[in-house]
Amino acid sequence: MLDVLTDHWSEFSSGFWVTVRIVVVSFGIAMVVGTLVAALRIAPVKWLQRIGGVYVEIFRNIPLLVLLFISYAGLRRADVNINAWVAGTGSLGLYTAAYVAEALRSGVFSVGKGQIEASLSLGFSYAETLRRIVLPQAFRTVISPLGSLTIAMIKNSAIIGVSLLALPDLLKQARIVQARTFQTDETFFWAAVGYLILTGTVTLIIRNLERRFAIRR
Amino acid sequence: MQISRWLGIALSAGVLAVAGCGDEDDSGGSGASSDATAAPAASVEKFPADTTLGKIQEKGEITIGVKFDVPPFGVKNPQSGDVEGFDIEMGKAVAAKLGVKPKFIEAISDNRIPFLEDGTADLILSTMTINEERVEQIEFSDPYFIARGRVLVPGDSDITGVADLAGKNVCTALGSTYEANLKKQAPEAKLKLVDSYSECLELVQNGAVDAVSTDDVILTGMIIQDDTLKLVGDELTQEPYGAGIKKGDTQMVEFVNGVFKGLKDDGTWAKLHEQWIGKYTGEKGEPPTIGVDEAVELVKNN
Repeated sequence: MLDVLTDHWSEFSSGFWVTVRIVVVSFGIAMVVGTLVAALRIAPVKWLQRIGGVYVEIFRNIPLLVLLFISYAGLRRADVNINAWVAGTGSLGLYTAAYVAEALRSGVFSVGKGQIEASLSLGFSYAETLRRIVLPQAFRTVISPLGSLTIAMIKNSAIIGVSLLALPDLLKQARIVQARTFQTDETFFWAAVGYLILTGTVTLIIRNLERRFAIRR
Repeated sequence: MQISRWLGIALSAGVLAVAGCGDEDDSGGSGASSDATAAPAASVEKFPADTTLGKIQEKGEITIGVKFDVPPFGVKNPQSGDVEGFDIEMGKAVAAKLGVKPKFIEAISDNRIPFLEDGTADLILSTMTINEERVEQIEFSDPYFIARGRVLVPGDSDITGVADLAGKNVCTALGSTYEANLKKQAPEAKLKLVDSYSECLELVQNGAVDAVSTDDVILTGMIIQDDTLKLVGDELTQEPYGAGIKKGDTQMVEFVNGVFKGLKDDGTWAKLHEQWIGKYTGEKGEPPTIGVDEAVELVKNN
């Protein structure tokens, strides 16, 4: 069992770090773009809301694998010289951003309308109301859904290595080891452990954040 | 443009194949009527029910794992939905000799050995090179074809051979022998390991990789689809293809060897080679005469 891991440590560890890099970069893209899109979705201007809505519908409704093909095969054919890293993290990040935007939006809507009205009538501006009243509460509500999204994203990242992009991530390296050793069960067991380390870490972080920012209701 | 050309080829290949197998689905049990697989019903040998061959006969169907995207060995005709190619003809010959219908399923480089182990496929005919590691996992028939490893590049590339691959992106299939070969012959090449050669074709066409390396016949299939690509350099390796059979099933191995020997001896092999391969490479093929052990040696010396 252990010998597959020790004999092929360099493959497993390099694959693990490639997956970590994909996940970290994609997470950054997902949070930044997701927050922007959520801001559009809750903006008090109709056409801004619509732009945000179109983004969410497009990126949430196209399978990730198709996005990867569009970004790497399609764009390259259209003479956009995109590399596999940009295509991979970009696709995963933008895809996840649609879900992040929806999570953030629902978080904002979870803050009672009465609080906003109270805040405005007390003389806070709209921006202040968002910053001081709405967002701090919304953030607490969305910690858990954002955690789930991050875990889903870690698992989705495995598609990048399997696709045309062929980035040497954890699953890809495991498949290379499997093809060489034919020790299928052992190889994928260790790949699963690798993913579990990542998702487990996220779970711990989320639990910590939740405990720190818990709202007593 | 690309697609229509490919369809044209597939179509013409399809026309050729129709002569051999009738128009029903890829089962082609009627393959018995083709000259390739002519086996009078009377000559079908019955095997005891407790052997793999007997079970296949009882089922009336042999499941054969083949490539669906590797012309001219195994390719799915987009019009008829049938799979066609040299490997398919070999499979039909085996099925005809058993008096059963062949059922072709897709086996990519990565899953074909597991398919044999878990019984998903009874036989693998998917451009599979006989090598040392695989011989430990499964049984092989004697080689039914020997391919040569080459390098394929875009027409305007300045790569002239394997020596120029250092620092370049090179595509080949995950789980194929080229992964190891390229690491040896071009250690500084950056390998892109994908699941199927059609992906390599896409990547070399859109410029994501600088070269593709695999068997000459597979690369020839790519040139058939896109004649702006070219083969460069000397042959890297020799790749004897064998039929994959579940470990320990020596009766099946002997049977398949018998079928292949028949095809080689009576001139059918040469006819099929011309029909599926010679036509494109312009070379006349000689049926391989070596056995599995010699094939392993050949590959070891690559």
